[in-house]
Amino acid sequence: MALHVPLDRLQRWMQAVVVHPGATPAAPGAPAARAEVPPGTVADLIRPSLTMSALERIGIYQGMYLLRMEDALAGDYEALRHLLGEDRFFDLVRGYVQEYPSRHFSLNRLGDHLPEYVLRAPGLARRRAVCHDLARLERAMGRVFDAPETPHLTAHAIAAVPPEAWEQARLVPIAAFALLAFRYPVVAYLDSVSDEPDHAHPPLRRQDTWAVVYRRDYTVWRQELTRPAHHLLSLLVAGRTVGDAVATVLRPRGRNRPTEDDLFRFFREWTAAGLFQSIESQRFGPGRTRTFD
Amino acid sequence: MSNRFGLPDLGVGVGLRTVHFPYILGERPRVDWFEVLSENFMETGGRPAWVLDQVAERYPVVLHGVSLSIGSTDPLDRDYLRKLKALAGRTKARWVSDHLCWTGVLGRNVHDLLPMPYTEEALRHTVARVRAVCDFLERPLVLENPSSYVEFAATSMPEWEFLARLAEDSDCGLLLDVNNVFVSAFNHGFDAGAYVDALPADRIVQYHLAGHTHKGTHIIDTHNDHAVPEVWELYARSCRRTGNVATLYEWDEDIPHFETVHAEAEKARAYRETALAAVATR
Repeated sequence: MALHVPLDRLQRWMQAVVVHPGATPAAPGAPAARAEVPPGTVADLIRPSLTMSALERIGIYQGMYLLRMEDALAGDYEALRHLLGEDRFFDLVRGYVQEYPSRHFSLNRLGDHLPEYVLRAPGLARRRAVCHDLARLERAMGRVFDAPETPHLTAHAIAAVPPEAWEQARLVPIAAFALLAFRYPVVAYLDSVSDEPDHAHPPLRRQDTWAVVYRRDYTVWRQELTRPAHHLLSLLVAGRTVGDAVATVLRPRGRNRPTEDDLFRFFREWTAAGLFQSIESQRFGPGRTRTFD
Repeated sequence: MSNRFGLPDLGVGVGLRTVHFPYILGERPRVDWFEVLSENFMETGGRPAWVLDQVAERYPVVLHGVSLSIGSTDPLDRDYLRKLKALAGRTKARWVSDHLCWTGVLGRNVHDLLPMPYTEEALRHTVARVRAVCDFLERPLVLENPSSYVEFAATSMPEWEFLARLAEDSDCGLLLDVNNVFVSAFNHGFDAGAYVDALPADRIVQYHLAGHTHKGTHIIDTHNDHAVPEVWELYARSCRRTGNVATLYEWDEDIPHFETVHAEAEKARAYRETALAAVATR
C-alpha cells in the first residue's frame, strides 16, 4: 500500500536517509528521517525491484553520497589525504560533511571549512596542528586557482613611478594571491607528495615556515618565503606604504633583519612573479591618488 | 523532422573535460561541438574560464548543469540562475540543459540527481518551476531524463508520460539520454523501446550516450566505458523518430585519451545516418 506523503516531506525524508552516515538499515530511524516519515514504512514509499528490496535500493544513493563527498575533498586536499591515509581521511570526511554539508551548487566549495573542522575533528591527536597547516595551504591553492584574473604590474608601469613617489606608494596585490604562515614545513611536504606520492617524504617536524601562493599565466604557484620576506609582503598587502613597510622590517636587529640587497631582491622577484597588479601613490597631493598599472 | 524550438542539429560532440584541456587547445581537434558542465565554470576566473573562452571561440557550446534542482521543493536559487545566465551569454551557449531531478532540500546540495515521484503533485510543481526558470533565463530550458535506482510507491504514471506532459505543459525541450533509459529500464523493469517511442519527438533537441556498470542486481550510470550495443540500437530507434538531433558522448570516470572518447562519439554519426537511411527507403 503506497503511503501518501507530500512532495516536500518525501524529499526531506529521502535526503535524511541518503546523508545518514551510518548503516542503511538504521537510516530511516535517524531523527531527521523519523521526523518526516515513521520508521518501518520504507516499503510503503519505495517499490522493491525484482532483485532488490526497497531499503537496498535507497541504499545505493546513501552509499554513493559519502564516496562522492570523499572524492571531491580528496581532489582538493590531496596531501592531507596522503598524510592521514585513506581510512582516516574517509573518517574525517564523514564527520566534516555532517557538520558542513554542501550548501553550494558546486562541489568545488565543499572543502571551504575543512581547515577549521580539522581543529576539532576527532582522531587527529598530535597531528592536528600539522593537518591544519596542510589543509590551510591546500585550501589557499584552490582559492587562488579560482580567483578572478587581474592584470599584472608591468615593467613599464614600474618605470613610470617617479623615484620620489616610491616612499608613499602602495602596492596592490593580484586577486589570485594568498600569504600564509605555518608551524610546519607543509610546502615542502606538498611539493613532495605532488611530485611522487609513493616515495619517502620530508619529515613534518615543528618548524616555522612561510609561503606565498599565487597564480601566473593561469598556473598556481607556491613559494616558500623567509621570515623577513613574509613580514615585508604582509605589510605591503595590508596596505602599508613601501616606505613604512621597509622601515618596519629594518627595525629589528639580528638575523631576521634583511639587508638592502635582500630588499631589492624581494621586490625584483615579486614583480617578476606578477604578485602586484598596480601601484597607488599619494605623492601627487592630498586626495590625489595616482594609479600605475 | 526538426525540433519545435528551431534549435540546430549541432552534429556529434563530446563533453569538455579538464584532462583533455591541453589536447584540445594544442591540437584543435575536428569536433562538431562541446558540452560544458555549467557549475565547473560559473565561479572561476582561473584556467577553466580561460580554456572555456578559447573553446567557445572555436566551437559551438552547450551548457549542461547538475545543480538546477528543478524538482526540489526548496525555492529556486536566484544566485545560481544569475550566474548560469551570465555564463550562457559569455559562451554564446546554443542552449542550456539540466536534469529532471532534485539535488537537495533545506538549503543542502547532496550533489546527486535524486529521482522524482511521478505524481500529479510533482508534475504541477515542476511545470511551474520550469516556466519560472525559462522566464528568468529568457530561453527554453532543456531537461534530461534521469537514470534512477528507486521508484516511488506513490508514482502514478510512467516516467515517459511525466516527461512528455512536463515538456508540453511547461514548453521545455528534452535531452534524451538513451543510456539512462536503458539503465532505468533494467532497474525498474520497463520496456526501453516503449519509453523512447512515447516521448514527443519534436521536443527532443539533444541526445546523450554513455557507458554504465552492470552490478548484476542493478545498473549504475557511471559514464566510464563504451556504450553497449543495446544502447546504440535504442539510439538508432529514437533517431528514426526525431531525425538528426545534436548528439553527445559522455565519459566522466576513467576518462581515456580524447581521441578514444571522440571515436565513440563518432559512432553516433554512423548510427544516425544508417537509421535515417532506413527511414528514407521505406
